[in-house]
Amino acid sequence: MENKRSDSEKATTSHRKGSESLLVRMVDIHKWFGKVYALRGVNFKVREGEILGLVGDNGAGKSTLIKILSGFHLADKGEIYFEGKKANIRTPKDAKRLGIETVYQEQALAPHVSISRNVFMGREPARFLGFMNKKMMDKESLDTLSNIGLQLKDPEAVVETLSGGQRQGVAIARVLYFKAKLVILDEPTMALSVKESKQVMEFMKQLKDEGLSVVFITHNLYHAYQIAERFVILAHGEKLADVRREDTSIDNLSQLIISGRSEEK
Amino acid sequence: MKETEGSISQNREVRTRFFHSLIRMRALNVFFIFLLLGIVFAIFSPGHRFISKESLEVFLALGAEFNIVALVVGMLMISGEFDLSVGSILVFCSFSFIKIFDAGVNIYLAALIALGIGALIGWLHGFITVKTGIPSFITTLGAMLFWRGITIFWSEGFSKPLESEQFPVFNAMFTGTIADIVPVQFIWFVGIALILGLLIHFHKFGNWVYSTGDNEQAARAMGINTDRVKMICFSIVGLVCSFVAIMQIVRVGSFTSRAGDGWELKAIAASVVGGTALSGGIGSILGIFWGALIISIIENGLVIMRIAYSWTYTVFGVVIVSSVIISLFIEKKRMSIGAEST
Repeated sequence: MENKRSDSEKATTSHRKGSESLLVRMVDIHKWFGKVYALRGVNFKVREGEILGLVGDNGAGKSTLIKILSGFHLADKGEIYFEGKKANIRTPKDAKRLGIETVYQEQALAPHVSISRNVFMGREPARFLGFMNKKMMDKESLDTLSNIGLQLKDPEAVVETLSGGQRQGVAIARVLYFKAKLVILDEPTMALSVKESKQVMEFMKQLKDEGLSVVFITHNLYHAYQIAERFVILAHGEKLADVRREDTSIDNLSQLIISGRSEEK
Repeated sequence: MKETEGSISQNREVRTRFFHSLIRMRALNVFFIFLLLGIVFAIFSPGHRFISKESLEVFLALGAEFNIVALVVGMLMISGEFDLSVGSILVFCSFSFIKIFDAGVNIYLAALIALGIGALIGWLHGFITVKTGIPSFITTLGAMLFWRGITIFWSEGFSKPLESEQFPVFNAMFTGTIADIVPVQFIWFVGIALILGLLIHFHKFGNWVYSTGDNEQAARAMGINTDRVKMICFSIVGLVCSFVAIMQIVRVGSFTSRAGDGWELKAIAASVVGGTALSGGIGSILGIFWGALIISIIENGLVIMRIAYSWTYTVFGVVIVSSVIISLFIEKKRMSIGAEST
């Protein structure tokens, strides 16, 4: 585990040499659902090692954009570049292969299955003939959880017994362990208490510290503002704004979302 | 002084951990119910006949046939699906086996072909279920009627003797006793339970089965081919039903079109009593193992106590509902101790 991480860290730093290197670039993305014009030529980029807040009201096109990036939808027009190379993402598997992992609220875990079995779900390490290496699974899952600042004692505990924040932690630990480069969190703080939301945001910081890029999708601007370094605001399938945190204020952002129009600069 | 304090708290932690793992072992509760029933029957059967050698042999031998089927039905339920057609697969495979054997095929080959037919039928049920997306309850309800109908039509409802005397080894594989005490059937039951237990609890495939039954969407998102997992489970059910069909026909010595009648609900009952959830994702092979033994001990014990057979169903009803209530209670307890603080 330690070795794997340091390898990928090396990879990240070498990329960083090119000043602000882009991890993802989506260019002129269009998407129709029947007669609904869901995305109208959106340009979207994610830098390496940044936390990006993707904000917008329901129906703004956030999920559609992200589902295109993670392979669940195909864009009708537009191109995706990953680490500078043109990427052909047609299925969720393609996205995973590149290192793009999506964590969906409540859909990511099997509630009656143990923590370690959840972390390794579908990618269980085997010793012989496909029999699982339980010892390693238990140890590695606890280690990875503690890497994002979540100290749990019992890898055999079923996920259902954990708090909402801890569950998000398990889902996030999973993508961290499997060396994701970009983690997309879809409304991870929805339905969580204030304390649990803070905890989940702490996980995001840890991911950033591990050298990963994080896209934090939310319609809660206050959550995004606490942690994101850059904000992309979508409304009605168009990009309204793409601003760095230091160039804006929370009032400014919320004004943008409410009005649904970009400011004339 | 400090050290003693440390060791006391450590002791306490060990004790609570032990207590927690006891509660986590659902199978243990099921075992206690089985034990209780065994004691009741031993005490109250006339002349304590329940624990006589003959009676125990019947219980272990005959019961094993049903118990084996219950094991795989339970595994399928963990994957989130039902099979109501086990009795009908069994009777169809039983008839196929005797037909193939009567046609002059070597008995071992005939058995292999019958096993293949069973697996194929199971696979077909799985295929129809996952590809059309209809509930397996419906698929296998239809299949239950279909396969029994076909069998009754082909066999014209008559029974047929199996003449397998010239194959003593084959017969001994399914009917003998080991050390003059333990029926082979029971060894098969334990052996199959061990294999399934290893598969479900220690193999990758087991984790796929649990994940598929518990949260199919999550399993699929993690790259598990949930359709294939379910189809494999259905195939295993078919294969094992066919195996039991052969075992049974060798013991009885003839085919009857009523073989396996009513087993589908009893098998589901055994799984539920053993702690398997109807919604999938929850259950253990050890639990189902004891659950199946509970169902067969009730059937057997009531006969020995000379209680009218109709009462069997009444007792089943009471045991099923009360055991689920008990396990629900234990589950709540489990939830309250399972949470960890960060």
